[in-house]
Amino acid sequence: MKRATLAVVILLALFALPMVASGYILYLANLLMVFVVLSLGLNILIGETGQFGLAHAAFYGIGIYTAVLLNNATGAPVLVTLLAGASLAALIGLVLGAISLRMRDIYLALSTFAFGEAVRWVFASWTPVTGGPNGLRINPSNLFGFKLVTDRDAYLLVLVVTLAFLLLTIQITRSRLGSAFRAVRESEIAAAAMGVNVRGVKIAAFALSAFYAGAAGGLFTTFSSFIHPESLGFMTTIMVLTMIVVGGLGSVVGAVGGALILGLFSELLRQLLSFQEIIYGAILMLCMMYAPRGLMGLLERKQAGR
Amino acid sequence: MKIGTYIQSALVVTAAALLLSGAAGAQEPGLSKDSIKIGLFGPMSGKALAYGEDPLNAAKMWYDRINKQGGIWGRKIELVQEDDRCAANDVVAAVKKLVEQDKVFMLNGGSCSTATVAAQEYVLRNKVPFVMLNASGDSALYPPTDYIFGAISISQRAVGGTMIDFATRSLKVKKLGYLNHDDAYGAWNLEAAQFMAKEQGATLIVESVNPDITDITAPILKLKASGAEALLVTAYARPATLAIKKAHELGWKTPIVIAVNGIANLVQMVENVGTKEAFKNLYIQELLADVPGGPKLQWVYDMYKTAYPELAKTPDHPSPYMPYGLASAMVVTHALNLAGPQPTREGVAWVLRNLKFESGVMAGPIEFGDNDRAGQESAIFLKFEGEKGVLQPGVYSNKWKYKG
Repeated sequence: MKRATLAVVILLALFALPMVASGYILYLANLLMVFVVLSLGLNILIGETGQFGLAHAAFYGIGIYTAVLLNNATGAPVLVTLLAGASLAALIGLVLGAISLRMRDIYLALSTFAFGEAVRWVFASWTPVTGGPNGLRINPSNLFGFKLVTDRDAYLLVLVVTLAFLLLTIQITRSRLGSAFRAVRESEIAAAAMGVNVRGVKIAAFALSAFYAGAAGGLFTTFSSFIHPESLGFMTTIMVLTMIVVGGLGSVVGAVGGALILGLFSELLRQLLSFQEIIYGAILMLCMMYAPRGLMGLLERKQAGR
Repeated sequence: MKIGTYIQSALVVTAAALLLSGAAGAQEPGLSKDSIKIGLFGPMSGKALAYGEDPLNAAKMWYDRINKQGGIWGRKIELVQEDDRCAANDVVAAVKKLVEQDKVFMLNGGSCSTATVAAQEYVLRNKVPFVMLNASGDSALYPPTDYIFGAISISQRAVGGTMIDFATRSLKVKKLGYLNHDDAYGAWNLEAAQFMAKEQGATLIVESVNPDITDITAPILKLKASGAEALLVTAYARPATLAIKKAHELGWKTPIVIAVNGIANLVQMVENVGTKEAFKNLYIQELLADVPGGPKLQWVYDMYKTAYPELAKTPDHPSPYMPYGLASAMVVTHALNLAGPQPTREGVAWVLRNLKFESGVMAGPIEFGDNDRAGQESAIFLKFEGEKGVLQPGVYSNKWKYKG
């Protein structure tokens, strides 16, 4: 009951935010929600299924460029561009998942890292399409004929889509597919013995995770006006990975919390100049030392009185 | 005659700005009876710190000086600073914060071109006058817009153009090896270099490399084999250092000219190359009115020492890029002065579009125009043998013009 009340209060506050917040705050809120969708997606692959895929930024970029190119060329509605970006990312994720089936642990991490860097190279070099190193300007998205020009215009759409992804994630986690993800994570042999289609589950995790990243890319295009391949490198994947690790691997609340906390920290620490990197590093080290299961693990321990 | 022209144009600009100011009724953001807020941003942390730290310091000391002299039309300049980390997303966040949260009147910032360009759409939509700090920002300058002004140090087009002008007129060579980046930066300076080479009847042999290159043997071997009479390098410090080192190792004794893009830390460059022998026939491009620390610029370096006595004692300070920040802040204060006692954003943008003045800091005048938002397009060159730069005669200019 208490949790439900808290959830309603948070929801009301989120929907009321545009009435009181400046454009800058709404920009931050939009960016944080993109991080949330990215984190939820990576959490499915790494946290739930235990597959060390390190190409999340590449799928995010595929979502961004697909949505932008479709929007710039046809002016298609934002939901179409967003779905197109997410679907293409999912399709490529599915192929990558199928190719990576024989790899695990460090080999899987390395091969997906290589894939991510190759995709970034394509973004940076395919100049006639992506603008290459010049970057690409993003035209305002179109929502039922209404142009999303400012952060305020985009906020409600970003919020609704983020909430939809959050609910979808909770549903998946509670479903048979979610159980299969966790079974594969714990032991592929045991999962197979229980009748879980390990290959199918792994491929599904890759595709689903890429779908989330692509959708996050589509969301980014609704309030941003420029994209450059530099923003889609390995560091972006590491940032999202850090978010889910700090939040608590395998926890939906942890993924959301990690994205919000680290996303906010990154922005707030801007004023501390060179100290920001030291503080950021210290947070990570302290987290690993005292909360190796992330903030969610720490909370659970506290609740259990340990 | 020249001074008379400047005064004349300043009077015309002031009169028009006063008219524009009078037309505006509403209170402008960031403007009060006794202060005017300016959003200053650049990399204050991270790996691009060297590009922004001293230009930002120089801008601050200029604004401080203006405040000590009574401000602009009785208003003190109030600076709000943001770190943009030279990253596109951070530039956008910083600019949005400055405009929407801090409500600054205008923007002065950006040391990295690609990142700075990310704020372009937002700035134009909100019609905020924006003067870049030391970013060349070519893609935000061409095609020209009403509110964005940059290349106060130099545009990449002008980097390429002036390099060719120097090589053909001063070194008197016509077959030129040209080493640039394989990115937008490289494409911009190559565009003007090709134009100038055609104008001057020279041939360019181009090799484009990744800015993160670690082995430059192949491109240097190719350029050497081509029979190029001079090697012009418009890349960042790392490829430039590798090129100098490799040319020396290969016994290639042709003159080498390093563009301003690659001279962030000359002491480090000499150390990394490992021998001063490699610098026997080397020239560097500079954008200032004199040799750094030379008589014409002594006042700038004295001002820096007074403003930052401790920092000035540390190695690598002031950086070669320091004076560019001063020139950028001068653009802002000149425009505000000319915009009159009741400035509006529209009025200041109009003034900027018509601004022309001699900063006394940069190699050429700072001048914008109907089809031009790049402020400074001239360069000087120094012979640098590993210790001190010796000024070469002449000021070199770029004749490439935007024709879109």
